[in-house]
Amino acid sequence: MSNFEPTLLARINKPDSSSLETYRRDGGYEGFKKALGMAPVDVINIVKDSGLRGRGGAGFPTGLKWTFLPKDHPGPIYLAINADESEPATFNNRILMEQDPHQVLEGIAISCHAIKSNRAYIYLRYEYGRSYRVLQKAIDECYAAGLFGKNIHGTGFDLDVVLHRGAAAYICGEETGLIESLEGKRAWPRIKPPFPAIEGLFRKPTIVNNIETMACVKQILDRGVEWFKSIGVPPDPNNPRDAGSYGPKLYCISGHVNKPGCVELPMGVTSRQLIEEHGGGVWKGNKAKAVVPGGISMGFLSADELDLPLDFNGPGKAGCLGLGTAAITVIDDQTSMVDVLFNCARFFAHESCGQCTPCREGTAWMHKILNRIRMGEGQLRDLDLLTEVAGSMGIIPGTTICGLSDGAAWPIKNAIKKFRGEFEEYIKTGKKTVKPADALMAAH
Amino acid sequence: MPTVIVNNKPVEIAPGEKLNCVQVAQRAGDEIPSYCWHKDLSVVASCRMCLVEVGEKKPDGTIAMQPKLSPGCQTPVKDGMVIVSNSEKVLAAQKATLEYLLLNHPLDCPVCDQAGECGLQDYSYEYGRGYSRLQEPKNIKPDKDYIGDQITLFTDRCIMCTRCVRFTREISGTAEMQVISRGTHEEIDIFPGEPCNNKLAGNVVDLCPVGALCSKDFLYKQRVWWLKSKNSVCPGCSTGCSITVDQNEDILYRLKPRENPQAQGSFMCDEGRFGWKYVHSNSRLTQPEQRTGGQTVSRDWTTVQNALKAALKGAQGQGPSKTAFVVSPWATVEEAYLLTKFAKEISATAKVAMGPVRVVGEDDLYPKDVHGNPMQPTKFTIRAEKCPNRLGVEAVLKHLTGELLTFAAVLDQIGRGEIEQLYVLGGDPEGWISEADVSKLDKLKLLIVQDLLESAASGKAQFVLPGGAWAEKDGTFVNHKGLAQAIHRGLRGPDGSRQDGRILMELLGRSGLFHASTLRQEIAGEIPELAALIVGDLGEEGALLNTAAKSELQPA
Amino acid sequence: MAVLSEELRDQIRAQFPKYPNKRAVVLPALHLVQDAQRHVSIEAVREIAELLELHPSEVHDTMTFYQFFKDEKHPLGKHRVWVCRSISCMLRGGEELLQHMCEKLHVHPGETTSDGKVTMEFAECLGACDGAPCILVDDEAHMNITPEKADDLLKSL
Repeated sequence: MSNFEPTLLARINKPDSSSLETYRRDGGYEGFKKALGMAPVDVINIVKDSGLRGRGGAGFPTGLKWTFLPKDHPGPIYLAINADESEPATFNNRILMEQDPHQVLEGIAISCHAIKSNRAYIYLRYEYGRSYRVLQKAIDECYAAGLFGKNIHGTGFDLDVVLHRGAAAYICGEETGLIESLEGKRAWPRIKPPFPAIEGLFRKPTIVNNIETMACVKQILDRGVEWFKSIGVPPDPNNPRDAGSYGPKLYCISGHVNKPGCVELPMGVTSRQLIEEHGGGVWKGNKAKAVVPGGISMGFLSADELDLPLDFNGPGKAGCLGLGTAAITVIDDQTSMVDVLFNCARFFAHESCGQCTPCREGTAWMHKILNRIRMGEGQLRDLDLLTEVAGSMGIIPGTTICGLSDGAAWPIKNAIKKFRGEFEEYIKTGKKTVKPADALMAAH
Repeated sequence: MPTVIVNNKPVEIAPGEKLNCVQVAQRAGDEIPSYCWHKDLSVVASCRMCLVEVGEKKPDGTIAMQPKLSPGCQTPVKDGMVIVSNSEKVLAAQKATLEYLLLNHPLDCPVCDQAGECGLQDYSYEYGRGYSRLQEPKNIKPDKDYIGDQITLFTDRCIMCTRCVRFTREISGTAEMQVISRGTHEEIDIFPGEPCNNKLAGNVVDLCPVGALCSKDFLYKQRVWWLKSKNSVCPGCSTGCSITVDQNEDILYRLKPRENPQAQGSFMCDEGRFGWKYVHSNSRLTQPEQRTGGQTVSRDWTTVQNALKAALKGAQGQGPSKTAFVVSPWATVEEAYLLTKFAKEISATAKVAMGPVRVVGEDDLYPKDVHGNPMQPTKFTIRAEKCPNRLGVEAVLKHLTGELLTFAAVLDQIGRGEIEQLYVLGGDPEGWISEADVSKLDKLKLLIVQDLLESAASGKAQFVLPGGAWAEKDGTFVNHKGLAQAIHRGLRGPDGSRQDGRILMELLGRSGLFHASTLRQEIAGEIPELAALIVGDLGEEGALLNTAAKSELQPA
Repeated sequence: MAVLSEELRDQIRAQFPKYPNKRAVVLPALHLVQDAQRHVSIEAVREIAELLELHPSEVHDTMTFYQFFKDEKHPLGKHRVWVCRSISCMLRGGEELLQHMCEKLHVHPGETTSDGKVTMEFAECLGACDGAPCILVDDEAHMNITPEKADDLLKSL
């Protein structure tokens, strides 16, 4: 496992890795040229056959999503790239964009050809200033080299790539929140149907894909379907609805480890392997109390759940929401889960777009309850109340418009279930956590 | 016929009918509560009050329900669909939604205008948990009385249904209302310096399900449970919006639009909504008068009416009559009919003319684009013709007198001495004659004015009859499209005034009370163009005079 | 007296060809104005709306959703320093770092130092968790920030 030869991250430590010249020397944009010589539907089939599932968090099969576009649409069809990467603990897209932007751009170009789109919008979170500069430079290089623009390689295919900066809102990572934001409105996600493939950006058919997914598309065109399927976990033969977890995945490791960082491994590695073999082990000689499996929206794994494979199926088996962004955060045994959960609840209350009632009121309520618990005024029944409130919100029960509430609910559900003892102890002993930073931020 | 099953009750819908779950449930007699949905606004499904379970009945009779709840407002129904709004899951979701909405809602009921007609009160009672589990401090948001000249906002009562924002973007197009901030700190607001003063602004107060947006005109004036409502029609222009008149103890407190797909739809303009103050003006005529040489000689109804008749009859000579009767287009069909009958009784050659039709500017179409130009499709029109019943009065006059004499022509004839006696049935609060023209009346030998407000003209009259305002009478108005709608006596006029219909019945010597439905049937029998009035009771939506017009139905 | 210079207007107009309608330029326009003027005043919103053929309320609605943009009452200082407060940074001392820097500058998050040099903010996950705790200074991320490194950084501004 530790000897896995990186593909997505193969070039990131090379000198001048972000320039077009070095990229082309490494064979870059040959895949795009090859794709341009194929019929778009053939490119879609390649991606479908590869079993690639979206890397943005939902894990929806990419090729299948592309087939939802209406056939024979007069256009325009848009590709919107979700570079909003705001799920706490996640930074793999940043690394790809900063260090190997052309890999991403080539994936975008190939995808545009496949879905017959002549315009891609990259929605980039504002905070990624360096990514913005690097990507814009790379895009300019592509235009100068005739890789973007009109009549690429004389095939008659036009492609424009527009870099669009966000403004620090997590909900712009939700696909229709992204679309609304790009259109210049407040980023309130849309009700579905219609789905973006039918009516998306500017009310035209739109595919929204993640940055890492685009990099995978480039690799699949270069190395082939068989290569992609040789990595990862095939579908569970007992589950006809399992689409497998193929391909290499970028895993982010952060929190209480000695070596936080991003590592590329076949899908299905476990949290323990990530911590021990790649993260340098838990810091300060402590033990891991809990691990967030894929960005805080996914919930928590307890210390005895660290051997679950982190593929699309694994975290669900431990009651987590899913694999999410495959960003693990390690929480050591010296840290209070009450503090951690409060941090999560504060995040979601701050980022809730406010459109629908359960999320707008519920995330704020859970934040306030946890604040009160943290201040030493909690009651045992608060734990049941939190669990009930968390259970009533989300697209899974159908009570909200988008999945932010599911993300808000899952850490609460997991934490109270798996660490109930710690919470009860905290409440019963009237423990209080007062951080000066809290008072500073509350005054804002 | 496509059938939808709502809580085990089959509901048939017409083929091609596009309905959502909320509408279909209404037909089944069940309520699916909702806040943000409104049939005239875009669907946002954000309040989550209307969550239901949906499924389908398969051809083999089994029912497959979807595992997750769906908002009823965004789910279109189709044949075979099954809707369940009373399962445990749905009831739990309703309780949860209401609990969420009440978390930051202030306990303002004792001081809130909306109490008694409040969506939050009503649904909390029907679908709520009955107690709160909140122990945290509520969000506090500042009140905003600058939202509009007519509108004030109690921000912390707002449940963020965004109906007001969508109204100003989609119906008026003026886009004054907006949301500020994000998440639980969101508030409704206006852009600084751009208050919500468009001509349809008052509708956002109706649309607000709670007491957040309030009408400054109505604020703290009256508790709604003391108000009695009567259906009526706004007289402000020929759009003829269906409305209700809300009064208590004969004091009119407010007008509200009433939904009528045949008339204007769901809304009304501010001119009509707030333009009724003259009904309680101090200048209302409150007693009949007979004047000789400028001196009042009687204030008794019987005396005045008899003297009036005698004066008119006495003025008729050998040749063609020099008496003219003027019916304002503010008069009802029944009043126009009765006055014309009276005119013919006075003299077969008496002239009957229509009062001036006040036209102000051009028809004002909404929504507007950002440059102020109307956009298609039109969702609301404020019409330039500022009277409620021109078509109705015209129909009566044309049939019973054979011609349509204009008021301008009447003034001309007065000037040439061809008209020496004038009886005017008014009703327009702006008056029936301009200041400039009032002096022309000096040439008359006899002037009789039946109106509701004092004026320079009524000051010159030998006979003054204090009539009623539109809100004080039963009758029929016909709008621009030929839709005949009933107005109902909502309140009694000031002591001493009388419904114009009654005055005219007495002048005609007809016995019995003025009864609009009966009169409609008489009118329908006599005037073919008004045959649709044969129904007597026009119902809530009215009757189209020309049913061919139904197929060209456009929103008002 | 227009608040937006002709140059700024040209920069905004230069965005039009990238999108099928002008409304999509709201966010780019707000960024351009805030970068140039350190805030977006009500008058600027009005002028942006005029350029984009929108109602001022529509631009303002969007602007206030992203608490990123400041109005004329709370203009940004010369530099904007964001300290991440999300999980990975919190686990490695991010909140204490925020406290340290705020106390150093005598401001609360959201406030600007009295000399107008630095506006301190807290941020949600900046995506630099491999270098937690991290801060964002204007457009540049700085990772593995200790209180000492923070002091040096602030001195260099």
